[in-house]
Amino acid sequence: MLLADFGTSYCKLLDTETDRAPEVIATRDLEVGFMADLATGHNAARRSKQSINELTALARGGEKIIGGKDFVLLDCGSRDIKFVRYAEGRVVDMGWNAECGASMGFTIELLAKYYDLDYGEIAVPDTGFSITCGVLGMSNIFDAVISGLSETEAVAKFVRGIARNAYRFAGSPERLYLSGGLCDNPLFVGSFPCNVISLGRFVLLAGLQASR
Amino acid sequence: MTERVGIVGIPPRSVITDLHRRRVLIFDLDEPQVRASLDLTASHLPRVYCAVLRTVVLNAMHLHLDCIYIDVGPGKCDCALHVSTILKNMLDIPIHCTRNQDMEGAGIPLCRTRMPLLAKMTGITAGVLEPEPEKGPAACRPTAGFWGVPPRDFSLLTLFPDTTHVYGWTRCMENKTPADLELESYVNPNVPTVFFAQSFCAKTALAKFLADQHPQGLYLDCDVTAGSSARAKIEAFFELSHSLFSEK
Repeated sequence: MLLADFGTSYCKLLDTETDRAPEVIATRDLEVGFMADLATGHNAARRSKQSINELTALARGGEKIIGGKDFVLLDCGSRDIKFVRYAEGRVVDMGWNAECGASMGFTIELLAKYYDLDYGEIAVPDTGFSITCGVLGMSNIFDAVISGLSETEAVAKFVRGIARNAYRFAGSPERLYLSGGLCDNPLFVGSFPCNVISLGRFVLLAGLQASR
Repeated sequence: MTERVGIVGIPPRSVITDLHRRRVLIFDLDEPQVRASLDLTASHLPRVYCAVLRTVVLNAMHLHLDCIYIDVGPGKCDCALHVSTILKNMLDIPIHCTRNQDMEGAGIPLCRTRMPLLAKMTGITAGVLEPEPEKGPAACRPTAGFWGVPPRDFSLLTLFPDTTHVYGWTRCMENKTPADLELESYVNPNVPTVFFAQSFCAKTALAKFLADQHPQGLYLDCDVTAGSSARAKIEAFFELSHSLFSEK
Protein backbone atom coordinates (compact mmCIF):
# COMPACT_ATOMS: atom_id res chain seq x y z
CA MET A 1 0.00 0.00 0.00
CA LEU A 2 1.34 3.42 -0.94
CA LEU A 3 0.94 5.97 1.83
CA ALA A 4 1.51 9.68 1.34
CA ASP A 5 1.65 12.79 3.47
CA PHE A 6 1.20 15.55 0.92
CA GLY A 7 2.80 18.60 2.49
CA THR A 8 2.83 22.04 0.95
CA SER A 9 6.57 21.98 0.25
CA TYR A 10 7.48 18.30 0.68
CA CYS A 11 5.69 15.01 0.25
CA LYS A 12 6.52 12.04 2.44
CA LEU A 13 5.89 8.67 0.81
CA LEU A 14 5.95 5.13 2.18
CA ASP A 15 5.40 1.88 0.34
CA THR A 16 4.36 -0.59 3.03
CA GLU A 17 5.09 -3.57 0.80
CA THR A 18 8.84 -2.88 0.73
CA ASP A 19 11.47 -2.50 3.44
CA ARG A 20 12.52 0.89 2.15
CA ALA A 21 12.51 3.86 4.48
CA PRO A 22 10.02 6.65 3.82
CA GLU A 23 10.95 8.91 0.93
CA VAL A 24 10.85 12.72 0.98
CA ILE A 25 10.22 14.46 -2.30
CA ALA A 26 9.67 18.13 -3.07
CA THR A 27 6.01 18.67 -3.87
CA ARG A 28 6.86 20.51 -7.04
CA ASP A 29 8.80 17.42 -8.25
CA LEU A 30 5.87 15.04 -7.79
CA GLU A 31 4.65 13.46 -11.02
CA VAL A 32 1.43 14.98 -12.30
CA GLY A 33 -0.46 11.69 -12.24
CA PHE A 34 0.91 10.43 -8.92
CA MET A 35 -1.73 8.63 -6.84
CA ALA A 36 -1.43 7.14 -3.36
CA ASP A 37 -3.66 4.49 -1.81
CA LEU A 38 -4.10 6.29 1.49
CA ALA A 39 -2.99 9.87 2.14
CA THR A 40 -3.28 12.98 4.22
CA GLY A 41 -2.38 16.60 3.57
CA HIS A 42 -3.45 19.44 1.32
CA ASN A 43 -3.68 17.42 -1.88
CA ALA A 44 -4.79 14.13 -0.36
CA ALA A 45 -8.35 14.17 -1.66
CA ARG A 46 -7.13 14.78 -5.23
CA ARG A 47 -4.10 12.49 -5.18
CA SER A 48 -5.25 9.40 -3.31
CA LYS A 49 -7.92 6.73 -3.34
CA GLN A 50 -8.68 7.41 0.31
CA SER A 51 -7.77 10.40 2.43
CA ILE A 52 -7.57 11.13 6.13
CA ASN A 53 -7.82 14.45 7.87
CA GLU A 54 -4.38 15.82 8.89
CA LEU A 55 -5.27 16.29 12.54
CA THR A 56 -6.53 12.73 12.71
CA ALA A 57 -3.35 11.45 11.09
CA LEU A 58 -1.26 13.50 13.52
CA ALA A 59 -3.17 12.18 16.52
CA ARG A 60 -2.99 8.58 15.35
CA GLY A 61 0.72 8.99 14.64
CA GLY A 62 1.27 10.40 18.11
CA GLU A 63 -0.60 7.52 19.70
CA LYS A 64 1.55 5.05 17.79
CA ILE A 65 4.95 6.67 18.29
CA ILE A 66 4.66 8.25 21.74
CA GLY A 67 2.41 5.65 23.28
CA GLY A 68 1.77 7.56 26.51
CA LYS A 69 -1.56 8.74 27.81
CA ASP A 70 -0.63 12.39 28.39
CA PHE A 71 1.21 14.36 25.76
CA VAL A 72 1.17 17.43 23.55
CA LEU A 73 2.20 16.88 19.95
CA LEU A 74 2.86 19.86 17.70
CA ASP A 75 3.36 19.61 13.96
CA CYS A 76 5.05 22.55 12.29
CA GLY A 77 4.62 22.49 8.56
CA SER A 78 5.52 24.76 5.70
CA ARG A 79 2.25 26.53 5.71
CA ASP A 80 0.48 25.82 9.01
CA ILE A 81 0.84 24.52 12.55
CA LYS A 82 -1.37 22.03 14.31
CA PHE A 83 -1.39 20.28 17.65
CA VAL A 84 -3.21 17.63 19.64
CA ARG A 85 -3.22 17.32 23.41
CA TYR A 86 -3.98 14.01 25.08
CA ALA A 87 -4.88 13.57 28.74
CA GLU A 88 -5.56 10.16 30.24
CA GLY A 89 -5.51 8.65 26.77
CA ARG A 90 -8.15 10.99 25.35
CA VAL A 91 -7.90 13.93 22.98
CA VAL A 92 -8.79 16.93 25.11
CA ASP A 93 -7.65 19.77 22.87
CA MET A 94 -6.53 20.34 19.34
CA GLY A 95 -5.82 23.24 17.04
CA TRP A 96 -4.99 23.97 13.47
CA ASN A 97 -3.74 27.37 12.55
CA ALA A 98 -3.51 28.03 8.85
CA GLU A 99 -3.94 31.78 9.12
CA CYS A 100 -2.10 33.48 11.99
CA GLY A 101 0.49 30.71 12.18
CA ALA A 102 0.87 30.62 8.46
CA SER A 103 3.95 30.09 6.32
CA MET A 104 6.31 29.44 9.23
CA GLY A 105 8.29 26.56 7.82
CA PHE A 106 8.21 27.96 4.33
CA THR A 107 9.54 31.34 5.46
CA ILE A 108 12.27 29.83 7.65
CA GLU A 109 13.54 27.78 4.71
CA LEU A 110 13.24 30.72 2.36
CA LEU A 111 15.30 32.96 4.66
CA ALA A 112 18.11 30.40 4.94
CA LYS A 113 18.40 30.26 1.17
CA TYR A 114 18.10 34.01 0.68
CA TYR A 115 20.70 34.92 3.30
CA ASP A 116 22.78 31.74 2.77
CA LEU A 117 22.49 30.65 6.41
CA ASP A 118 23.11 27.32 8.15
CA TYR A 119 20.74 27.01 11.08
CA GLY A 120 23.04 24.42 12.62
CA GLU A 121 25.66 27.11 13.18
CA ILE A 122 23.45 29.82 14.65
CA ALA A 123 23.13 30.13 18.42
CA VAL A 124 19.73 30.62 20.01
CA PRO A 125 19.43 34.33 20.84
CA ASP A 126 18.45 35.57 24.30
CA THR A 127 15.53 37.51 22.90
CA GLY A 128 13.38 37.19 19.81
CA PHE A 129 10.77 39.08 17.83
CA SER A 130 7.18 38.98 18.99
CA ILE A 131 5.60 37.59 15.85
CA THR A 132 2.68 35.39 14.95
CA CYS A 133 3.34 34.38 11.37
CA GLY A 134 6.07 34.12 8.79
CA VAL A 135 4.71 36.78 6.51
CA LEU A 136 4.12 39.45 9.16
CA GLY A 137 7.44 38.64 10.81
CA MET A 138 9.47 39.44 7.71
CA SER A 139 9.25 43.18 8.27
CA ASN A 140 10.81 42.70 11.74
CA ILE A 141 13.88 41.27 10.04
CA PHE A 142 14.18 44.16 7.63
CA ASP A 143 13.71 46.71 10.43
CA ALA A 144 16.32 44.98 12.61
CA VAL A 145 18.88 44.88 9.80
CA ILE A 146 18.29 48.57 9.08
CA SER A 147 18.85 49.33 12.77
CA GLY A 148 22.26 47.63 12.71
CA LEU A 149 21.69 43.97 13.56
CA SER A 150 23.42 41.42 11.34
CA GLU A 151 21.23 39.42 8.98
CA THR A 152 22.10 36.26 10.92
CA GLU A 153 21.12 37.82 14.27
CA ALA A 154 17.89 39.16 12.82
CA VAL A 155 16.89 35.81 11.32
CA ALA A 156 17.77 34.07 14.60
CA LYS A 157 15.42 36.40 16.47
CA PHE A 158 12.77 35.71 13.86
CA VAL A 159 13.10 31.94 14.23
CA ARG A 160 13.00 32.21 18.02
CA GLY A 161 9.85 34.31 17.81
CA ILE A 162 8.22 31.79 15.49
CA ALA A 163 9.07 28.92 17.84
CA ARG A 164 7.73 30.78 20.88
CA ASN A 165 4.50 31.53 19.02
CA ALA A 166 4.08 27.86 18.12
CA TYR A 167 4.79 26.92 21.75
CA ARG A 168 2.04 29.23 23.01
CA PHE A 169 -0.33 27.94 20.32
CA ALA A 170 0.20 24.43 21.66
CA GLY A 171 -0.78 25.56 25.16
CA SER A 172 2.71 26.18 26.63
CA PRO A 173 3.37 22.59 27.78
CA GLU A 174 6.35 21.55 29.94
CA ARG A 175 7.19 18.81 27.46
CA LEU A 176 6.47 19.07 23.76
CA TYR A 177 6.65 16.38 21.12
CA LEU A 178 7.56 18.01 17.83
CA SER A 179 6.67 16.75 14.36
CA GLY A 180 7.65 18.00 10.92
CA GLY A 181 10.68 19.04 8.92
CA LEU A 182 11.60 21.74 11.42
CA CYS A 183 12.68 18.96 13.82
CA ASP A 184 15.94 19.06 11.81
CA ASN A 185 16.45 22.76 12.52
CA PRO A 186 18.57 23.08 15.72
CA LEU A 187 17.90 26.81 16.04
CA PHE A 188 14.15 26.29 15.87
CA VAL A 189 14.12 23.34 18.26
CA GLY A 190 16.47 25.11 20.67
CA SER A 191 14.22 28.17 20.75
CA PHE A 192 11.38 26.42 22.59
CA PRO A 193 11.36 27.26 26.32
CA CYS A 194 10.49 23.68 27.27
CA ASN A 195 11.64 20.11 26.93
CA VAL A 196 11.31 19.25 23.23
CA ILE A 197 11.31 15.70 21.90
CA SER A 198 11.72 15.70 18.14
CA LEU A 199 9.86 12.93 16.35
CA GLY A 200 10.89 13.85 12.83
CA ARG A 201 8.86 14.36 9.72
CA PHE A 202 7.11 11.00 9.39
CA VAL A 203 4.58 11.21 12.24
CA LEU A 204 1.64 11.65 9.88
CA LEU A 205 2.82 8.64 7.86
CA ALA A 206 2.80 6.66 11.12
CA GLY A 207 -0.75 7.91 11.63
CA LEU A 208 -1.69 6.62 8.18
CA GLN A 209 -0.14 3.26 9.00
CA ALA A 210 -2.17 3.10 12.19
CA SER A 211 -5.34 3.96 10.28
CA ARG A 212 -5.03 1.22 7.67
CA MET B 1 -48.63 47.81 0.38
CA THR B 2 -47.23 45.29 2.83
CA GLU B 3 -44.96 46.82 5.44
CA ARG B 4 -41.38 45.48 5.38
CA VAL B 5 -39.81 45.10 8.80
CA GLY B 6 -36.32 43.93 9.68
CA ILE B 7 -35.47 42.30 12.98
CA VAL B 8 -32.04 41.91 14.57
CA GLY B 9 -31.51 39.38 17.33
CA ILE B 10 -34.61 38.17 19.15
CA PRO B 11 -37.02 41.03 19.84
CA PRO B 12 -39.51 40.35 22.66
CA ARG B 13 -42.42 38.03 21.89
CA SER B 14 -44.79 40.97 22.35
CA VAL B 15 -43.07 42.71 19.41
CA ILE B 16 -43.21 39.61 17.17
CA THR B 17 -46.86 39.09 18.12
CA ASP B 18 -47.61 42.70 17.19
CA LEU B 19 -45.81 42.36 13.84
CA HIS B 20 -47.90 39.28 13.06
CA ARG B 21 -51.08 41.14 14.00
CA ARG B 22 -50.08 43.90 11.58
CA ARG B 23 -49.37 41.23 8.89
CA VAL B 24 -46.01 42.77 8.03
CA LEU B 25 -43.31 41.04 6.00
CA ILE B 26 -40.50 40.19 8.47
CA PHE B 27 -36.84 39.88 7.47
CA ASP B 28 -34.31 38.31 9.83
CA LEU B 29 -31.39 40.66 9.24
CA ASP B 30 -28.94 38.38 11.09
CA GLU B 31 -29.05 35.99 8.14
CA PRO B 32 -27.78 36.62 4.61
CA GLN B 33 -30.76 38.00 2.67
CA VAL B 34 -29.04 39.62 -0.30
CA ARG B 35 -26.31 38.61 -2.72
CA ALA B 36 -23.81 41.38 -2.18
CA SER B 37 -20.29 41.65 -0.85
CA LEU B 38 -19.81 42.22 2.88
CA ASP B 39 -17.08 44.65 1.88
CA LEU B 40 -19.84 47.13 1.00
CA THR B 41 -20.34 47.63 4.74
CA ALA B 42 -16.78 48.91 5.16
CA SER B 43 -17.90 52.53 4.96
CA HIS B 44 -20.13 51.98 8.01
CA LEU B 45 -18.39 49.30 10.10
CA PRO B 46 -14.80 48.22 10.70
CA ARG B 47 -13.83 45.24 8.56
CA VAL B 48 -12.72 43.43 11.71
CA TYR B 49 -16.17 43.10 13.26
CA CYS B 50 -18.75 40.41 13.91
CA ALA B 51 -19.74 38.93 10.53
CA VAL B 52 -23.36 38.57 11.65
CA LEU B 53 -23.64 42.29 12.40
CA ARG B 54 -21.86 43.17 9.18
CA THR B 55 -24.56 41.06 7.51
CA VAL B 56 -27.21 43.07 9.36
CA VAL B 57 -25.83 46.30 7.93
CA LEU B 58 -25.50 44.80 4.44
CA ASN B 59 -29.13 43.62 4.53
CA ALA B 60 -30.32 46.97 5.82
CA MET B 61 -28.54 48.72 2.96
CA HIS B 62 -30.38 46.68 0.33
CA LEU B 63 -33.81 45.56 1.56
CA HIS B 64 -35.76 48.87 1.43
CA LEU B 65 -37.26 48.34 4.85
CA ASP B 66 -39.93 50.44 6.52
CA CYS B 67 -38.50 49.98 10.01
CA ILE B 68 -36.13 47.81 12.06
CA TYR B 69 -36.47 46.26 15.50
CA ILE B 70 -33.04 45.59 16.91
CA ASP B 71 -32.54 43.86 20.23
CA VAL B 72 -29.68 45.49 22.13
CA GLY B 73 -30.16 44.13 25.64
CA PRO B 74 -28.58 41.21 27.49
CA GLY B 75 -30.20 38.88 24.96
CA LYS B 76 -27.99 40.22 22.18
CA CYS B 77 -24.74 42.14 22.61
CA ASP B 78 -23.06 45.51 22.94
CA CYS B 79 -21.98 45.30 19.32
CA ALA B 80 -25.66 45.32 18.30
CA LEU B 81 -26.20 48.37 20.51
CA HIS B 82 -23.53 50.25 18.57
CA VAL B 83 -24.83 48.95 15.25
CA SER B 84 -28.22 50.41 16.16
CA THR B 85 -26.54 53.82 16.35
CA ILE B 86 -25.03 53.27 12.92
CA LEU B 87 -28.36 52.15 11.45
CA LYS B 88 -30.07 55.24 12.84
CA ASN B 89 -27.47 57.40 11.17
CA MET B 90 -27.44 55.40 7.94
CA LEU B 91 -31.16 54.93 7.25
CA ASP B 92 -34.08 57.30 7.16
CA ILE B 93 -36.49 54.83 8.81
CA PRO B 94 -37.47 54.18 12.45
CA ILE B 95 -34.94 52.01 14.29
CA HIS B 96 -36.60 50.56 17.40
CA CYS B 97 -34.21 49.29 20.06
CA THR B 98 -35.61 46.55 22.29
CA ARG B 99 -34.25 44.79 25.37
CA ASN B 100 -35.72 41.33 25.37
CA GLN B 101 -35.78 39.90 28.88
CA ASP B 102 -38.53 37.32 28.29
CA MET B 103 -38.08 34.38 30.65
CA GLU B 104 -41.11 32.26 29.83
CA GLY B 105 -39.67 29.23 28.05
CA ALA B 106 -41.24 28.12 24.76
CA GLY B 107 -39.48 24.73 24.73
CA ILE B 108 -36.49 23.34 22.88
CA PRO B 109 -37.70 20.37 20.83
CA LEU B 110 -35.60 21.11 17.74
CA CYS B 111 -32.44 21.44 19.82
CA ARG B 112 -32.84 17.88 21.04
CA THR B 113 -34.27 16.01 18.08
CA ARG B 114 -32.63 13.73 15.53
CA MET B 115 -32.29 15.76 12.36
CA PRO B 116 -29.43 17.11 10.20
CA LEU B 117 -27.99 20.00 12.17
CA LEU B 118 -28.31 22.37 9.22
CA ALA B 119 -32.07 21.68 9.00
CA LYS B 120 -32.35 21.96 12.76
CA MET B 121 -30.60 25.34 12.77
CA THR B 122 -32.72 26.58 9.86
CA GLY B 123 -35.85 25.60 11.77
CA ILE B 124 -34.69 27.34 14.93
CA THR B 125 -33.77 30.58 13.18
CA ALA B 126 -37.03 30.54 11.21
CA GLY B 127 -38.86 30.14 14.51
CA VAL B 128 -37.64 33.57 15.59
CA LEU B 129 -40.20 35.09 13.22
CA GLU B 130 -43.06 33.23 14.89
CA PRO B 131 -44.62 34.41 18.17
CA GLU B 132 -45.73 30.96 19.26
CA PRO B 133 -43.66 27.76 19.11
CA GLU B 134 -44.83 24.82 17.06
CA LYS B 135 -45.18 21.40 18.64
CA GLY B 136 -41.78 19.90 18.05
CA PRO B 137 -40.47 16.44 17.26
CA ALA B 138 -39.37 13.94 19.90
CA ALA B 139 -35.95 14.10 21.53
CA CYS B 140 -33.13 11.70 20.68
CA ARG B 141 -30.15 10.50 22.68
CA PRO B 142 -27.29 12.90 21.93
CA THR B 143 -23.94 11.74 20.60
CA ALA B 144 -22.52 15.23 19.99
CA GLY B 145 -23.13 18.82 20.93
CA PHE B 146 -23.11 22.16 19.19
CA TRP B 147 -22.90 25.06 21.61
CA GLY B 148 -23.14 28.64 20.44
CA VAL B 149 -24.84 31.03 18.09
CA PRO B 150 -26.08 30.21 14.59
CA PRO B 151 -22.92 30.58 12.49
CA ARG B 152 -22.69 33.04 9.63
CA ASP B 153 -21.69 30.09 7.45
CA PHE B 154 -24.21 27.28 7.94
CA SER B 155 -22.11 24.89 5.82
CA LEU B 156 -20.00 23.94 8.83
CA LEU B 157 -23.12 22.39 10.37
CA THR B 158 -23.06 19.60 7.78
CA LEU B 159 -20.06 18.11 9.60
CA PHE B 160 -22.09 17.21 12.68
CA PRO B 161 -24.04 13.97 13.20
CA ASP B 162 -27.85 14.07 13.09
CA THR B 163 -27.92 13.19 16.79
CA THR B 164 -26.24 16.47 17.74
CA HIS B 165 -27.98 18.38 20.49
CA VAL B 166 -27.89 22.18 20.33
CA TYR B 167 -26.83 24.26 23.32
CA GLY B 168 -25.89 27.84 24.07
CA TRP B 169 -27.58 30.91 22.66
CA THR B 170 -29.20 28.92 19.86
CA ARG B 171 -31.05 26.92 22.52
CA CYS B 172 -32.12 30.23 24.08
CA MET B 173 -33.36 31.30 20.63
CA GLU B 174 -35.67 28.32 20.30
CA ASN B 175 -36.81 28.78 23.88
CA LYS B 176 -37.49 32.46 23.12
CA THR B 177 -35.45 33.50 26.16
CA PRO B 178 -32.31 35.02 24.60
CA ALA B 179 -31.18 36.67 27.85
CA ASP B 180 -31.28 33.45 29.87
CA LEU B 181 -27.59 33.16 30.70
CA GLU B 182 -28.16 30.08 32.84
CA LEU B 183 -29.70 28.23 29.89
CA GLU B 184 -26.99 29.58 27.59
CA SER B 185 -24.29 28.25 29.90
CA TYR B 186 -25.81 24.79 30.22
CA VAL B 187 -23.80 21.97 28.62
CA ASN B 188 -23.88 18.19 28.62
CA PRO B 189 -20.49 16.93 29.84
CA ASN B 190 -21.19 13.45 28.47
CA VAL B 191 -21.11 14.33 24.76
CA PRO B 192 -18.21 15.76 22.76
CA THR B 193 -19.19 19.36 22.13
CA VAL B 194 -18.00 22.05 19.74
CA PHE B 195 -18.14 25.45 21.38
CA PHE B 196 -18.64 27.87 18.52
CA ALA B 197 -18.64 31.65 18.42
CA GLN B 198 -18.34 34.16 15.65
CA SER B 199 -14.90 35.73 15.55
CA PHE B 200 -14.84 39.17 17.23
CA CYS B 201 -18.00 38.33 19.23
CA ALA B 202 -18.04 38.79 23.01
CA LYS B 203 -19.36 35.24 23.30
CA THR B 204 -15.94 33.92 22.29
CA ALA B 205 -14.96 34.37 25.96
CA LEU B 206 -17.82 32.21 27.23
CA ALA B 207 -17.25 29.66 24.46
CA LYS B 208 -13.56 29.36 25.33
CA PHE B 209 -14.28 29.18 29.06
CA LEU B 210 -16.91 26.46 28.71
CA ALA B 211 -14.78 24.49 26.25
CA ASP B 212 -11.91 24.53 28.75
CA GLN B 213 -14.23 23.30 31.50
CA HIS B 214 -15.81 20.59 29.35
CA PRO B 215 -14.17 17.14 29.48
CA GLN B 216 -14.55 16.77 25.72
CA GLY B 217 -14.91 20.27 24.31
CA LEU B 218 -13.49 21.99 21.25
CA TYR B 219 -13.42 25.77 21.02
CA LEU B 220 -13.93 27.11 17.52
CA ASP B 221 -14.43 30.55 16.10
CA CYS B 222 -14.97 31.51 12.48
CA ASP B 223 -15.42 34.81 10.71
CA VAL B 224 -17.43 35.04 7.48
CA THR B 225 -16.86 31.54 6.14
CA ALA B 226 -15.63 28.30 7.67
CA GLY B 227 -12.21 27.65 6.15
CA SER B 228 -10.57 24.30 5.61
CA SER B 229 -8.80 24.36 8.98
CA ALA B 230 -12.06 24.96 10.85
CA ARG B 231 -13.77 22.16 8.97
CA ALA B 232 -10.83 19.82 9.55
CA LYS B 233 -10.87 20.58 13.27
CA ILE B 234 -14.54 19.58 13.54
CA GLU B 235 -14.04 16.43 11.46
CA ALA B 236 -11.01 15.30 13.46
CA PHE B 237 -12.61 16.20 16.78
CA PHE B 238 -15.61 13.97 16.20
CA GLU B 239 -13.59 11.21 14.60
CA LEU B 240 -11.18 11.06 17.52
CA SER B 241 -13.80 11.70 20.20
CA HIS B 242 -16.23 9.06 19.01
CA SER B 243 -13.65 6.34 18.59
CA LEU B 244 -12.31 7.09 22.04
CA PHE B 245 -15.79 7.13 23.53
CA SER B 246 -16.64 3.83 21.91
CA GLU B 247 -13.44 2.29 23.27
CA LYS B 248 -14.48 3.11 26.82
